[in-house]
Amino acid sequence: MEERISHIRTEALTELQPVASAADLDNFRIKYLSRSGVIAGLFEDMKSAAPESRPALGKAINELRAAVQGLFDEKKNALESSARPTTAPLDLTLPGRERWVGSKHPITQTLDEIKRLFTAMGFSLAEGPEIEDDEHNFEALNFPPDHPARDMQDTFFIAENILLRTHTSPVQIRVMESQKPPVRVIVPGRVYRNEAISARSYCLFHQVEGLYVDKGVTFSELKGTLLSFAKQFYGSSIKYRFRPSFFPFTEPSAEMDITCFLCNGKGCRVCKQTGWLEILGCGMVHPNVFRHVSYDPEVYTGYAFGMGIERIAMLRFGIDDIRILYDNDIRFLHQF
Amino acid sequence: MRVSYRWLKDYVDIKASPEELAQKLTMTGFEVEKIERPGEKYKNFVTGIVLETRKHPNADKLTLCKVDVGSQTLNIVCGAPNVSPGQAVAVGLVGAQVPRNQHDPAGAPFVLSQVKIRGEESFGMICSAYELDLGDDRDGIMILPKGTATGTTLSDYLGLSDTILEIGITPNRPDAMSHIGIAREVGAIYNKKVKIPKLKLRESKRPAAKFGAIKILDSGLCPRYTARLVYGVTIGPSPKWLQEYLTSIGVRPVNNVVDVTNFVLMEMGHPLHAFDYDKLNEGMIVVKPAKDGEEFTTLDHKLRRLTSSTLMICDAKGPVAIAGVMGGAFTEISDTTKNILIESAYFNPQSIRRTSKRLGLSTEASQRFERGADLHATQWAADRAAQLIQEITGGEILKGVIDVFPGKKKSITVPLRPEKANEVLGTGLSGKQIQSLLRKINITKAAGRSKSGSSNVLYAIPSYRVDLLQEIDLVEEVARMYGYDSIETNNDTRISFSSHAPAKDTVSELKDWLIGSGYSEVVSNSMQEKEFSRLGSEEAVEIANPISKDMATLRTSLIVSMVQVIRNNILYGKKNLRLFEVGKIYRRDKTGASVVPGYREENRLTMAMVGLRRKASWDVSPQVIDIYDLKGELQTLFRKIFLDNIKFIPYSNTKALTSMGFDVEINGIDVGYAGIVRKDFRAKFDIDEEIVIAELNVDLLLQNSSLKKTFKPLPKYPSVTRDIAFKINENITADQLKNEIAGAAGPMLVQIDLFDIYRGDQVKAGEKSLAFALEFMSEDHTLRQDEVDRIMKEVISRVSRNLSGTLRE
Repeated sequence: MEERISHIRTEALTELQPVASAADLDNFRIKYLSRSGVIAGLFEDMKSAAPESRPALGKAINELRAAVQGLFDEKKNALESSARPTTAPLDLTLPGRERWVGSKHPITQTLDEIKRLFTAMGFSLAEGPEIEDDEHNFEALNFPPDHPARDMQDTFFIAENILLRTHTSPVQIRVMESQKPPVRVIVPGRVYRNEAISARSYCLFHQVEGLYVDKGVTFSELKGTLLSFAKQFYGSSIKYRFRPSFFPFTEPSAEMDITCFLCNGKGCRVCKQTGWLEILGCGMVHPNVFRHVSYDPEVYTGYAFGMGIERIAMLRFGIDDIRILYDNDIRFLHQF
Repeated sequence: MRVSYRWLKDYVDIKASPEELAQKLTMTGFEVEKIERPGEKYKNFVTGIVLETRKHPNADKLTLCKVDVGSQTLNIVCGAPNVSPGQAVAVGLVGAQVPRNQHDPAGAPFVLSQVKIRGEESFGMICSAYELDLGDDRDGIMILPKGTATGTTLSDYLGLSDTILEIGITPNRPDAMSHIGIAREVGAIYNKKVKIPKLKLRESKRPAAKFGAIKILDSGLCPRYTARLVYGVTIGPSPKWLQEYLTSIGVRPVNNVVDVTNFVLMEMGHPLHAFDYDKLNEGMIVVKPAKDGEEFTTLDHKLRRLTSSTLMICDAKGPVAIAGVMGGAFTEISDTTKNILIESAYFNPQSIRRTSKRLGLSTEASQRFERGADLHATQWAADRAAQLIQEITGGEILKGVIDVFPGKKKSITVPLRPEKANEVLGTGLSGKQIQSLLRKINITKAAGRSKSGSSNVLYAIPSYRVDLLQEIDLVEEVARMYGYDSIETNNDTRISFSSHAPAKDTVSELKDWLIGSGYSEVVSNSMQEKEFSRLGSEEAVEIANPISKDMATLRTSLIVSMVQVIRNNILYGKKNLRLFEVGKIYRRDKTGASVVPGYREENRLTMAMVGLRRKASWDVSPQVIDIYDLKGELQTLFRKIFLDNIKFIPYSNTKALTSMGFDVEINGIDVGYAGIVRKDFRAKFDIDEEIVIAELNVDLLLQNSSLKKTFKPLPKYPSVTRDIAFKINENITADQLKNEIAGAAGPMLVQIDLFDIYRGDQVKAGEKSLAFALEFMSEDHTLRQDEVDRIMKEVISRVSRNLSGTLRE
């Protein structure tokens, strides 16, 4: 038995010596090291040896296996490293293997940032339908029928009293119809205007609407909230102003301007030489709106605000034609 | 609205520059959108007199001129053939920018400099009408009338030295749509009194009432009709001042009578109309609705078809004007008009708006009536016009105003509690402060108190402020007069913490995953051609008043717009694309379960791939994507959002937009489909490249995704992996074989993956070999080899028995 072990050792060494291909090496492995190989066979044979000699034999066979395995591994490494052409050195200036890269649309990026700031201020998200009825889009928001204020928002109609919402404000109504104060929501969404398509206006755009109703909500607080938003979003050094405006569903109504961040308020093409950029409309919720949703205007006050996301994205990224946002040219999308 | 700075000064003292005024007006709610100085371009141009001329010694066509421009006499070389001594001319001084260069084909402007022309110095230029942008005559210099003063700047001479403010008037403020209206706001800003012109009418003895008769048949639509008669007018052009006032704000002068009515409109805001009185049958005015289908020719010589909801001004026989919108051609003021009737009425705003909308005819008059005119201003306006017409054209103002006023109203009072103002604004204003703020805009304390609350003060509202009806309206006025900027910007706010869990923004997570996986997000138009939206559903929602045919419906699938996006990118040579969009689709709905009855909206996700599977690289051979790439992406996505019980069910027929794909079911619910965009559909867009696309209902995906996560203890024992390959008939699907194996393997099998398909020499024709990796595990012990061997034996015999598959050694 010992003899056979030593013979196999010599034979294996001799056989391994000239092996030069992966296939031959594998044949060697099958012959000596596999489960049905020569060395495994030795263990089988050992079972028929005298019980007192088995421990010594076992040790010897194990040593043999370790030795052959070691030589085999060495050979294997040698073969693998010689398989690599030694004449061609590594050229690490070769480009790596890249994957396709994706991008988030600038409208979504802008909206995400606005959402992040307002949710941090305790606003939650609400949504509503784009196909709306006249009641929610206009009447409940204090636009009487045949009122010129409706001209501010050219409307696409679907059917009698059914239209494509012209602003996200109808969701204010839907939220207040379904819950009691306090209400603190922002409403992102797509809105439609039947206007000629140009570099400055598209037939649809996206808005974020905000609504806060509770006891004791003031205009002063509205200013503070929006200033905090503007400073976080546009930079802490901006100057701001609130000037009176008109929206049927808020009173007092205001528009918020900030100093043009492109020219630092000196006046440029984008701010039409005024040094100011209009960034949002806002105001105190009109008592008629509260009455419509059966909130008592003697008990509750509230504020609402709304901004156009495309306009903000355009200002932020220096985009001068709104239409490019909907062209989805990959050369454009990959810039963001 | 265009407001003349000079005109404004007729009614209120203004010390501030136009820029400063614009800033103040903007801050009180009258946004000045633009400041224009039409005379700006004639800076450095003056009037002059040609004193003497002589021939240029070195050029036949040039003349040397001495021109007196007031402050000095200039030597000017002139090339015009018509120059001669004694002419009054327009002279551009050195440094002036000449609006148009007549030697330049494009007529581009240029700046004058002191030049030597063929050896002779020239210190300016005598200009042609073309060069000054005042006409098309370029054959010679523009000659001004004899007696023109020298040394006047050309902008003054042309009456263009005014500054024009373009003001955006919000729809709630019709009272500010005039110079006096704006002057009232300016007066409030600077604490100045507004000077309303005094009326001094010289009436004749003949009473107007004897000639004109007015009947209002619908006092709801016409609560007041006031008229003045002026006899013996002489029609002609208006005096220069009047023409200048009107042109400065963009109103075209017509004749002296029409110009006066327009002047009064722009002065104090009330629309007027002048009729040729002799053309009114029986000298009568009847205000009544039109007959359905009646036709009428308006001033602009267009034939208009009327309906019974159109309020008309008629004479004894028929219509002579569309009330509040536009007069008629037949009774308009002409050169031969002698006697006129001045109409100054008040019409119902809603009725005027409906008529104006229906006719597509918006005029200065209709815009004011539909926003709400001043019911109590009609007589003042008529008197003012009559007085000016008399001053300008002569004529006789008949005695008395004819005033039919069936809709008399009591003057309006509105209550305001100071504490309410402070509650809304967050201010601490006293009752006195509030009263003095309101007094600035002529809102004063009325006698009496309203019943509720002792602090409740009643305020009398001027009749022109039709927007002030309730307490909150006065709160806004208080804020406006106090100044929005004076209200403290309060950074403290109370937050009532929410008591329900916010909805998780899973769509954002989904988007982030897609972007990380190499997809770019698309945002596309939701309006599209009917031909396309019908491919997605028969229930497409149509738009009643679309912008154009290609935006006449709402999309029923995101695939069409995605294909259009892909087409546009391919046109620019971008042929390797991975795109996605999350957006809404819209359908008519009969279930009655939708938010707005009859219409359903659904959030969809579409993913599309075109071109290469991997970016081309130096050791990767280019491989074009196919449906299995997309299926793999979907499987990965579903695993990412913890969806299970997913079925991909191949469809044999083509769909409207795709073919060769599969439907996706989750928990037995159809959530969408994938496939290859149909060739005939691609052909519509000239796309050769194959597009692999999927469209899924995001709402359903997220509803079925197991968001509630519970920890399961990790297995304590190692798993064992075995590979196995079967040769089976081509008609047996991978899934059939896989299910057979899984069924035979039993509960120890925890994972099974297909890793190889072989067809070729080693298998028979009509057969294929599929290789699977099987992972086994037990929850209570380490699996022994013999246990796994037993399972594998069972697998082999089941596959052989049920699918006639043989083990591939």
